Amino acid sequence: MSELESPQGEREMSEPGTAWATARPPTVGGPLLEVEDLSVRFRTEDGAVLAVDEVSFTVADREVLALVGESGCGKSVTAMALTRLLPSNALITGSVRLGERSLLELPEAGLRDVRGRDVAYVFQEPMTSLNPVLTVGKQLGEVLRRHQALRGKTADRRATELLELVGIPLPAQRLKEYPHQLSGGMRQRVMIAMAVACQPRLLVADEPTTALDVTVQAGILDVLRDLRTEIGTAVLLITHDLGVVADLADRVVVMYAGRTIEEAGTEALFARHSHPYTRGLLEAVPDPERRAGGIREIPGRVPTLRSSPDECTFADRCGRADSLCRARRPELLLGPAGHPVRCVHPLPLPEVSR
Amino acid sequence: MTTLDLTTVDAAPAEATVGPSRRRALRRLLRNPLALTGLVVVVVAVLAALLANLIAPYPPDQTDFSAALQPPSPAHWFGTDELGRDQLSRVLFGLRVSLLVAVLSIAISIVVGVPLGLAAGFYRGLDRVVSRFADTLLAFPFLVFAVGLAAILGPSLLTATTAIGVAGIPAIVRVTRSETLRLRGLDFVAGAVADGASDFVLLRRHILPNSVNTLIVLATVAAPAAIIGEAVLSFLGLGIRPPMPSLGVMLASAQPLFRSGPWLAVFPGICIVVVTLSLNLVGDGMRDALDPRESPR
Repeated sequence: MSELESPQGEREMSEPGTAWATARPPTVGGPLLEVEDLSVRFRTEDGAVLAVDEVSFTVADREVLALVGESGCGKSVTAMALTRLLPSNALITGSVRLGERSLLELPEAGLRDVRGRDVAYVFQEPMTSLNPVLTVGKQLGEVLRRHQALRGKTADRRATELLELVGIPLPAQRLKEYPHQLSGGMRQRVMIAMAVACQPRLLVADEPTTALDVTVQAGILDVLRDLRTEIGTAVLLITHDLGVVADLADRVVVMYAGRTIEEAGTEALFARHSHPYTRGLLEAVPDPERRAGGIREIPGRVPTLRSSPDECTFADRCGRADSLCRARRPELLLGPAGHPVRCVHPLPLPEVSR
Repeated sequence: MTTLDLTTVDAAPAEATVGPSRRRALRRLLRNPLALTGLVVVVVAVLAALLANLIAPYPPDQTDFSAALQPPSPAHWFGTDELGRDQLSRVLFGLRVSLLVAVLSIAISIVVGVPLGLAAGFYRGLDRVVSRFADTLLAFPFLVFAVGLAAILGPSLLTATTAIGVAGIPAIVRVTRSETLRLRGLDFVAGAVADGASDFVLLRRHILPNSVNTLIVLATVAAPAAIIGEAVLSFLGLGIRPPMPSLGVMLASAQPLFRSGPWLAVFPGICIVVVTLSLNLVGDGMRDALDPRESPR
């Protein structure tokens, strides 16, 4: 079987047995990941659907960038499009650069080397994301063999280290167990261990805590935070949970209906957001101090787009919308708070004594 | 017993010694009285067939004209035929041939059908071709196909095995294809793609192992059909030829003598019924035991 897999090992590896935290020297120069004008269309039976509309963002080395938005805004599709994990009816345009390489132009075989080694994914559903008939050790071993040509004892030792890294007690014993013997939180830790097995430069975590209960969530977030310092990986965090964002992210990109509508440092976004939609998102978070008012929701739903409309896609749900919003497609411009926002009528800066 | 710890995260049970789910399935199978009965009969039948040369009281081809066409007696439990051959011995050796045909024909179905099904389920372009091929095979009447094959190859064990094996291919292709389609959409397969797995690895490590349960059930259910198929073909003279005994051959040669020696048809007939019924019971039990929807998680 192994001869069918491409030979690996050109990447430097730390000696097994030595400390896991082999910090990679920081890359000099441009950002780690550079996404430019990424658009994704799906051909469906009722015509094309535009899921991602000219999205651009960058992720620096070791940075945690959160991609935020409600269901259907295109954040997961954006993440999957980075390494072309989408089904064959997806049409991806734009450019995705990881270091020197342009991922959208790589052949499928080249992408297989990138996936799991340079860009690794953690998905939402830990209960179904592990193969039920293979032990945890075999599944971890599979990844280690594929990308690092490790096998046998060496692979076992590395697998044990990995489970330890993600905070799983009795790692050697867990390796022999099947997924159904582990709880959801444990499975998600295993998923993370598999994802970081090859010390990826970018970890894409697609709603990594959504399917878990709250106490377990906190544990998983701790693991993600630790990974960043221990193996020096950048994280693209996809979530609709603003609590997770506040906890983990350095920077936030807010998406709506396939477009990026606001981009800011985490603190800036929470304190000085400029887009009405961002405000809506923040107000939809339950706040114990604002109990009387309850949760304020944004009326309406995310539209499904056939094509890129020449107007603000949020106009139909926005209290501030007027004819100007519908006259043309708003550009992503520097807003009043000093970060980019795609809005004709951005919110004014809050009073100092807010 | 399996104890699943779903509540605690970090404090998991210290001694979790649960094997793969297949071992639990076996335990469930053994708790089902019908399936257990079937399993016992099948095991006895297989042992009897394997050990036929040791336990048969007479050589199967030994004629004894002084004892021709005798009803069952202490010397000949199942009686003798018109040539004085001991029917018990012939049933034992016949069972061996019948089971051999069943096993080989299922092997043919699986060896050809599983790769085709995997390919059809995984590659859309191939699906059209493979599925039409399977449909064509399915539309072809089994007996017409067997007659045609016998016309080319001549009636023999090989002919019967091939005919039954080929007739079983479409079912295997379809089931494997639908399993592949189902599994391909599951999160762990998508996850393996995101980990950089090649198509071969996906099929070999993720899709095939998860289809095995279904294929086991299918093979168990196909076994009695293959035994009956062999009996039909041999009865019609398209399969195994006398003097080699098979259950179907024995039924066929008993036909003209049914009035004077009904036991000649009764014992091979009972043998076919009991073995196929037991195999069906085991198959049903397997399906229940391996069905993930019935497994308490």
